[in-house]
Order: sequence, then C-alpha cells, then structure tokens
Amino acid sequence: MSDRLVKMQIPMILTAVIGLLMIIEFFFPMPASVTSLNVTLRSFVTIISATALILGTIVLTIFHTKKVGTRGSEWYYSIVYVVAFVVTAGLGVLNVRDTTFLWIYNNMTSPIGAALYSLTAFYITSAAYRVLRARNWNAAVLLVCALVVLLMLIPIGAILFPPVVPLGEWIRSFPSGAGFRGMIIGTSLGIMGLGVRVFMGRQKEHLGIREERRDSE
Amino acid sequence: MSLMDKMLALDQRIIFALMFIALAFPILSPVILPMNIQQYSRDSFEFADSIPSGSVVLIEGGLGAATYPQGGPGLEVQIVHLLSKDIKLVFFSIGTETAAWTVTAIDNALAKLPSGVAAENGVNWVHMGYVPGGESGVAAFANDIRSVKTEDHFGTPIGQIPLMSDINKASDFAALFWWGGSEGSIPFGIRQIVTPFGVPMTGMCTTNEVPNYTPYINSGQMIGIIGGVRGSAEYEYLMGMPGLALGQAMATNFGGLLWALLVVLGNVLYFVARREGGAK
Repeated sequence: MSDRLVKMQIPMILTAVIGLLMIIEFFFPMPASVTSLNVTLRSFVTIISATALILGTIVLTIFHTKKVGTRGSEWYYSIVYVVAFVVTAGLGVLNVRDTTFLWIYNNMTSPIGAALYSLTAFYITSAAYRVLRARNWNAAVLLVCALVVLLMLIPIGAILFPPVVPLGEWIRSFPSGAGFRGMIIGTSLGIMGLGVRVFMGRQKEHLGIREERRDSE
Repeated sequence: MSLMDKMLALDQRIIFALMFIALAFPILSPVILPMNIQQYSRDSFEFADSIPSGSVVLIEGGLGAATYPQGGPGLEVQIVHLLSKDIKLVFFSIGTETAAWTVTAIDNALAKLPSGVAAENGVNWVHMGYVPGGESGVAAFANDIRSVKTEDHFGTPIGQIPLMSDINKASDFAALFWWGGSEGSIPFGIRQIVTPFGVPMTGMCTTNEVPNYTPYINSGQMIGIIGGVRGSAEYEYLMGMPGLALGQAMATNFGGLLWALLVVLGNVLYFVARREGGAK
C-alpha cells in the first residue's frame, strides 16, 4: 500500500464514515445494527481516551525523569513531580482506598487545588482596582454593569441596594445572555463548518498533515 | 511621589491583606445577614421538589477540590432533599477526581440525613463512578450504561445492584442534576441527555460561569441553576438546613463589598488625579 493511502486516504475515509454514522443516528431512526455499531464505536472512544491519559502520564514522567538525569533548567521541580508521582501512583495502584493514599489526596491534593482556585479572589480584586476605571464611555458602561451584577450576586446587595436585583437580572438575562447566545451559535456553526470540512477531506490537521509539511520544510 | 500617586499605585499586598481580612472575619466570627433568594436557585430547588417519590434521577458529580467548597454543601443538601422524598439517585462523574469528591458528598449527606430515611447503597442510591471520554462518554452512558460501566465505583457488578435492574439509558431517569462545578460540562448534559431523551435538567456551576448558561435557561433547556457558593447557601436556606455554604456566602458579602469599595475608590482617585493633570 502506498504511503499516501495509509497516512491520508484511509484515515480520512474512516473519519468521514464514522462521523456520518454518529450524526445520522442523531437525526433519523436507525436499524438496531447501526445503533449497536455506534455503541461499540463510542466504547472505542472511551478506551482511546483512557489510553491517551496513560500515554500522557508516561510521556510526562519520561520528560521529567530525563530532565532530572540531564540536570536541565529548574530540574529540581522535576524531582518534586517524579517523587509525587511515584508515591501517589504507587500507593494508588496498590490500593486506591488505602488510608495513606486517601491521606495524601485529602491533605495535599485537595487543599492545594482549593488554595489555587481561591487565589483568584485576591488577584481579581487587585486587577480591578488598577484597571477597572471609567477612562471612556465604553469603560464606564463596563464598570457600572460590573458593580450592579456584583451587588446583585452578593447576598446582602439586594438588601442594601434593592434596584440592583431587577437591573442585574436584566443585564444577565438580556445583554449578557444575548452575547453568550451569539457566542454559542457562532461556535456551533464553526464546529459544523469544521465537521463538513473534515468529512470532505479539506481539513487535515487531525491527521498531522500540517506538522508533516513543517517537518519536511 | 504624591499621596494620590501612591494611592493609585497601591501595593497589591495591602489589597491582598484587606481581602484576606474581609473573607476570614465572617468565617471566623459567623454573622448571618439577611439575604434574598435568586430566581434561578428557587427554580432549581422547586424543580427538585416537584419530582415524584419513587422516581429515579441521574446526578453528575463534577465537583473537584477547587470547586467543592462552592458547590459541595449544596450537593449534600440536595442529596438529603431527594433521599428524604424517597427518590432514587444514580451518580456518575466525568472526571477521576470528581468521582472521588462525589463519594465525599454522598458520605457527608448520609451523615446529615434525618433518622428513618432509607439510604442503602445499591437500593436508594448508587455511584457508577468515573465515565471516561468526556462528551462522547456521556453520550455512550446515556445510550447504554452497561456498554460503559460493568460495575459501580466500589466494584460491585452492575448485575448485583438492585437499583440498576431496570435502568440502562437516559430515558429511564425522571430528571438530571448536573453539578458541573467549573468543568464547563453542562452543555454535555443538554446535548446528550436533555435534547435526545427529553429528560428535564437543572445544574450547578461556579458563580462566574452562570452567564454562560443563561441562554440554556432562557430557552427552557435547563430549569434554573445553582450558582456558586451563594446558590448552595440558598439551597441550604430553602431546605432550612443552614450549613457551611451559608457561612461562606456571608464571607462573599464582605469580600464583594470590599471589591466594590476599592473599585469606586480607584475611580474617584483616578478622576481627581486626571483633573489635576496627573493620571492618563
């Protein structure tokens, strides 16, 4: 078989056929054989996703191990990763419900995650103080909307300034809702367009074609 | 450097310290201030309340370490709410971490249950655990649960779970509750379960994500939404079970007011400085 057939044509045909099978089932009643085939194909997605996760972990571990071995830039951070990975994964593989594993999860992973997320409150406040200023009419509208929606969202806002509730609800439901609706419709149309291009073989990035060209240049 | 310039370029460490005090004070010395209930939260609560006893509902547990403080208390109270109404619960998660946090929510909720409420694992509730594959995984789960999961989160074969005996696809559920946190996965539920199977759905997300989902609420594809810690607090309030979220919502009062105060102060200083020919 030619290289082009293996690298391009077969994957493109597979993508188009499988994509069509999925879409047809969504719009039309299909025989049990097609539904059953689709269930199997979706199981493949699940298996491939899980495999990709394992593959990603392996690649990341190899990267950090090599970095430690070659004393690359900031290699000491890689030691933290390697040690954390070996200890956590090792205990998890032995027994995911083991007390030590859960202790690591509950007392290290969870607080770190929560702490990182809560930092946004501090940075957003600092950024807002410096940047959110009524420098022109557009910025003034943004500022007023931000203040109204914030006061609507904090529990005491409606008690202190009752008009912020209807005003904030209006901003959230109409201007903001309309904007997000437009964004959702735009994104969906973009996805449809991309799908059509993939079916027609016009979009080849998922086959690594662009990278291949760049490599060959 | 004049005082005005110093104030305009206020050291962010001072802002951080002020915010820390504003958030920590109400948590350390809880003061419950009056609050009004948002319509989205009320709709979500009433939707859960309207589900008939004996129904089976599907719950996606998407809260992780970062988002559990916001949504966890609300999910716990909702589990109490539904189990108290003799509604059967089937949980699943589309993340490995969130699957573990869903167990935490179930455990905490079971500890809060009033005596006499049936809450047997496999009979009144079941946690199907991690469903890999993102939206494709949700689609597969919705179409044929057994094609994706052969056992629950704790390793019990699906054939040995009484609650799952008549359940195998999304249309077998009376409602869907999507506790998405910050996963951004609420549209998965709408696209793969609400639209194809006609299962009514409500959801939960972090406060900042609420505007993302208002189009789905306005179009009727989703019934209300629990938004962040305030949404959880409102659920606790409506259930008459004040808990962690209500205390945290009070902290957002002070944090939010400080934010507004600083922004107003920044603008006042900016205009004064501009009048004096300083700020640009």
